[in-house]
Amino acid sequence: MSRAAHAPSASTKRAGEDDDICPVCKSSRYLNRYMHFLVNPECYHKMCESCVDRIFSHGPAPCPIAGCKKTLRKARFRTQTFEDLKVEREVDIRRRVAKAMNKEETDFETLRDYNDYLEEVEEITWNLILKVDVEQTERRLRRFEEAQKAELNPNAVRRSVDAGPDTSTLSETSHVILKKGGAQRKAQNVPSGNMPIPEDETGFSFRGLKKRKAPEPEKVFDPTSGWSVDPTYYNVKDEYDHKFFAVKHEPRFYAFGYKAPEYYSHALRDAFGGLGVFLEDDRTSEEMDFGTQAAAIAVGGGRDVDMNDVF
Amino acid sequence: MKFFIDELPVLFPYPRVYPEQYAYMCDLKRTLDAGGHCVLEMPSGTGKTVSLLSLIVAYQQFHPENRKLIYCSRTMSEIEKALAELKALMKYRTQELGYEEEFRGLGLTSRKNLCLHPSVKREKSGSVVDARCRSLTAGFVKEKKERGEDVELCVYHDNLDLLEPHNLIPPGVWTFDGLLKYGEQQKQCPYFTSRRMMSYCNVIIYSYHYLLDPKIAERVSKELSKDCIVVFDEAHNIDNVCIESLSIDLTEESLRKATRGVDNLDRKIKQMKESDSEKLQNEYAKLVEGLRAADEARDENAFMANPALPDDLLKEAVPGNIRRAEHFVAFLKRFVEYLKTRMKVLHVISETPPSFLSHLRDLTFIERKPLRFCAERLTSLVRTLELTNIEDYQPLQEVATFATLVATYETGFLLILEPFESAKATVANPVLHFTCLDAAIAIKPVFERFSSVIVTSGTLSPLDMYPRMLNFNTVVQESFTMTLSRKTFLPMIVDRGSDQVPISSSFEQRSEMTVMRNFGSLLLEFCKLTPDGVVVFFPSYLYMESIISSWQGMGVLDDVWKYKLILVETPDAQETSLALETFRTACNNGRGAVLLCVARGKVSEGIDFDHHYGRTVINIGVPYQYTESRILKARLEFLRETYRIKENDFLSFDAMRHAAQCLGRVIRGKDDYGIMVLADRRFGKKITQLPKWIQMGLDLKNTKLSVDMAVNNAKAFLKQMSVPYTRGEGDGHSSWSLEDLEAHQAKKKQEAISGTENPATRALEGRAERVVEADDEFGGAGMDDVMAGLVG
Repeated sequence: MSRAAHAPSASTKRAGEDDDICPVCKSSRYLNRYMHFLVNPECYHKMCESCVDRIFSHGPAPCPIAGCKKTLRKARFRTQTFEDLKVEREVDIRRRVAKAMNKEETDFETLRDYNDYLEEVEEITWNLILKVDVEQTERRLRRFEEAQKAELNPNAVRRSVDAGPDTSTLSETSHVILKKGGAQRKAQNVPSGNMPIPEDETGFSFRGLKKRKAPEPEKVFDPTSGWSVDPTYYNVKDEYDHKFFAVKHEPRFYAFGYKAPEYYSHALRDAFGGLGVFLEDDRTSEEMDFGTQAAAIAVGGGRDVDMNDVF
Repeated sequence: MKFFIDELPVLFPYPRVYPEQYAYMCDLKRTLDAGGHCVLEMPSGTGKTVSLLSLIVAYQQFHPENRKLIYCSRTMSEIEKALAELKALMKYRTQELGYEEEFRGLGLTSRKNLCLHPSVKREKSGSVVDARCRSLTAGFVKEKKERGEDVELCVYHDNLDLLEPHNLIPPGVWTFDGLLKYGEQQKQCPYFTSRRMMSYCNVIIYSYHYLLDPKIAERVSKELSKDCIVVFDEAHNIDNVCIESLSIDLTEESLRKATRGVDNLDRKIKQMKESDSEKLQNEYAKLVEGLRAADEARDENAFMANPALPDDLLKEAVPGNIRRAEHFVAFLKRFVEYLKTRMKVLHVISETPPSFLSHLRDLTFIERKPLRFCAERLTSLVRTLELTNIEDYQPLQEVATFATLVATYETGFLLILEPFESAKATVANPVLHFTCLDAAIAIKPVFERFSSVIVTSGTLSPLDMYPRMLNFNTVVQESFTMTLSRKTFLPMIVDRGSDQVPISSSFEQRSEMTVMRNFGSLLLEFCKLTPDGVVVFFPSYLYMESIISSWQGMGVLDDVWKYKLILVETPDAQETSLALETFRTACNNGRGAVLLCVARGKVSEGIDFDHHYGRTVINIGVPYQYTESRILKARLEFLRETYRIKENDFLSFDAMRHAAQCLGRVIRGKDDYGIMVLADRRFGKKITQLPKWIQMGLDLKNTKLSVDMAVNNAKAFLKQMSVPYTRGEGDGHSSWSLEDLEAHQAKKKQEAISGTENPATRALEGRAERVVEADDEFGGAGMDDVMAGLVG
């Protein structure tokens, strides 16, 4: 596989096609000009396209290379990207690890923790590449992935938990998810701080991981941002006996459906409007975005003597 | 002579001073006082270097804060000349003042030029000398020796450690020869003496690269303080130097070597793990902490330095996934493999760094951040592994530098993959160009760090192009002319042959027989009438070859042969230097010779044809760049979009600065004379882009000549020049004694008081008149100034 560092090939070829003999059928480029090699990510043995067609067209079959007992399927054969098959395999493994371990710098409290995390991920990848503890690492990786999923989308898990008993028998996956759901709930109960989650539950644990906070539920939208129109400086009585309100008994007043209390409240609001509104308060309340400056001034119109100052 | 500029006493090592030198010094002082950058153009041969040095040294000695001068020049010979000039100046100062000032001036050049080690200095290639020197002087080698291992050390380097670190060499100015002699006497290494004394020097003279190339600057020029005065002499090419220092070309061959380098590293790590795993562990611990030992950064033996990295990044810890040595090696391997797959593509690709990075991430899961640390991590690893045969890792370092740059800069760079060498080639030879498009990136740290940067050269026109391209602001921008008591150079534009057919090297016309014949007759006529040397510049090697072969067919060369020896420049340096030597001999013994060379070649840049070596220079064709190059196209586009410089403006500017550079080769002083012929129809429209001093010598009637008219003019001119002439005739006008100078100063003072600045006084000082710049499409640069004035 160390063909990489060999003499320059005069013409350009696709990756890994610089030796021209198919190891399976021994056909060479001389016999077949358009020979094209494929590899299967199960064992990374390469063979020519026609061999793949011949051997695997009728379903899965063992790899024809001597000593390799892997069962291969045609669908997974593909053209290799890298010249070095070791790198090809490494990249495949990385793809898998990267899918599971996709934390970002913002998920960690310090840069140091993030770097430690990165190193550990690299360590895991290496184990897989060098085939050290593959079984165990794989298992932990799978568990971690699921824990991750549960954390990211608790609702989905809860939903599946709720639906759990209905969906036939306890399949393996839903069992795992149930367990994770438990872990998730437990994790939520843990007070803030770096309490590591036990490793056997999530596969891996990393130091300095920020707690994932559930977003706070949104409050009901209040268009007036806490303002009310209820009077604060006066109470509206049912009845006023003032000559100003004398008109209320005249038919021309109530003929159109006016009612006296409405009239009172209107008159009082007009009279008290603007009281208790101070320009200083208005300035700060500008930031409270309940209106433009002009509106604020208009509200405080009772003190229009000072208008000059404003402008 | 000694005179005052305002309050500053200047000691000038010659009895007479040229008016333009005086004005130049005034402007320099103004810049230094104001603390800003400036662009000054002064014709070659008017004593630019000496005026610069004498003013700045006077300024240093007069002001107590003693700002250091960093003088950067381009070639070795120019550096040597400057050192000699400085030495003479200091000698003169000692004489005048009566005591020796505490002063150190040193030059720095490569190890190859300064090595004294008996076997190392015999190596021919610079990189081999560097590598062997490192293997004899590196810190770990010394440690090994102390541990009692049998390793070879350099005696010259070791002796340095016995001396006081701030006093390795006595005060004074040291030329390279002097330094070598002193080193031989005292048995100490001149290179390291110079390097280590850098922070104790008043004047440092070295090449651009030590300041501009981020890979070297990091190491050599790190400790220089902020208030240094930086001078870039011969700076007309500075933008190209900047761009080259950040551009990287990768080929299949270099990637293959890089792979080998990675494999070697891998093996070395395995060995080290078995024998001395503690060291790796130490390195790892250091990287975890994110610490960068102070001595580490300053280590002069470090061979690989980082390209320009932002400071915040330098303080950050190395990302976790490349902290372990073996992880990093695998990381590099993956990156190299990825580059190899990219090379397989058979069509031209040009893409931006972000697009490259995203494709890289999709394919190999290499993130941007570890990529940025690549070069630094490699440096650290190499140091830990104590590698000595470093030249093997050069390609790998290139890849690492590339990785760092591509991940650091999003704009201003472009990746261009060219699978074929030429359009017609069928055999692929892919080259991945990582080109820097923005000259401002490399020079930015210099402008930011140092308060006064002086950019000067003989040909900088148009002056506002450089501040725009390099993105800086100037306090002074001035162009000086040569004050002459008689006209000693005759510029002419020849736009048609004797048969009235326009001549041009434009693509449509260059291969026409008539054009070639007219160029031939031009050459022949000028060879007939010129005494001694003739220099001819062509726009490219390709055109030179084709025209020479057709001249051969027409018999032009046979005719020229009767009058002059014909010599040709080739891309090969050794052949060219032989040709030059022959040329000199031929000129010396009176036969005369004609040298055919290329406007962008070595001859046009660094070789002077003073006095009889060059009496006529002919520029055949406008030396445009090869415009079909993709790199150039990308750069043009970038300039247009970022700095609002139009493509044609830049191309024509670039062509004209090279043309001017060629013309300037023949006039190297006031008593020199020469004819300058610009033979192309298109020069007529580009007169304004010539340096002011050539423009002023160019009569309007000489701008549209046919060959026979030009010949007549040249004959008349030569007749004029043959009249005996003594230096004395120029007194008071083109060179001033002390009295003249004081009279001028008094007059100026008077004018300053009365508030009437007289344009005649400006002309007297050799300042070119200010030209109102023609508006560009956005309403002109003038508008910007007005706006800036309003705001300020």
